[in-house]
Amino acid sequence: MKSALEKYELIHNLKIRSDDKLTGGIEMISNMLRFSPSFFEGFDEVLAPEFARLTRESSRTRAYPQVNMGVTDKSVEVYLFTPGLEASELDVSIEKNLLSVSGERTKDDLDKNAINRRERFVGKFKRTVALPEDVDPDQTEAVYRDGVLHISVAKKAEVQPCQIEVKV
Amino acid sequence: MTTNTGTEAAVKQSNNEVSTAQQESNARAQSLELTPAADIHETKDGAVIYIDLPGVSKDSLDINMDSDVLTIKGGVNLNTPDDLNPTYMDVHAGFYSRKFTLSSELDSAKIDANLKNGVLQLEIPRSEKHKPRKIEVKVA
Repeated sequence: MKSALEKYELIHNLKIRSDDKLTGGIEMISNMLRFSPSFFEGFDEVLAPEFARLTRESSRTRAYPQVNMGVTDKSVEVYLFTPGLEASELDVSIEKNLLSVSGERTKDDLDKNAINRRERFVGKFKRTVALPEDVDPDQTEAVYRDGVLHISVAKKAEVQPCQIEVKV
Repeated sequence: MTTNTGTEAAVKQSNNEVSTAQQESNARAQSLELTPAADIHETKDGAVIYIDLPGVSKDSLDINMDSDVLTIKGGVNLNTPDDLNPTYMDVHAGFYSRKFTLSSELDSAKIDANLKNGVLQLEIPRSEKHKPRKIEVKVA
């Protein structure tokens, strides 16, 4: 049985002997082995902050936009949390009982020399929610206020509860 | 007749229980805090912070500075109809809260806050003595 060090030397030597014949991929692996004592140091330096950033962000970054939905006797109410957009930048459509909202959130114009830390969503988005079968998409109202898009879709008249008067 | 009154009373009781349960769950939702996403940009002039606070109006926003800690709190108000039955929720709490510790280089007395479309922009200038400045070299 060869010790780990002997194996390491063997690979090391192999690398040296066949240096010019090695292809990129093998050379890379071989380089990793050659630099193994410091390899993980480099790993830490480069990846640890990135890893920390990702884990931190995953706890805060959520789906964009977030949605809350509910029903009343007369309507279906959808609230989409789309902060940072103008009402005109939101595209709302209903097709076959699927309500879609799309748009794009752009980066803020800033000094190039700024030190930045970003958590907020940037880019294009589209969120689709299924509406119940009994809605009337022709009677839809959308209001955008304080970064929340509120869409109210009326239920069809025949499914709305109605009071029946009993005549004497 | 007596049984009827008995049933009525029982229904009322359970209604009360339901409403208490609802109040409790509302109270729980109010006490739960969401951590809003924030961007921090630091330049030579100071810091700019953007915080996503959808559903927060100017009236329900509270910005507080205590020694070097800047606290942002905001209540979400969606004006939902009273008889709304929630069917799906991404946002479970009705309250945002976030704290930032400011460096002494920043001038916390001159914070400029701007709330627009559910995004709070805070501009905090660097205090004059901490701003980078050029030192003229005089020729002797």
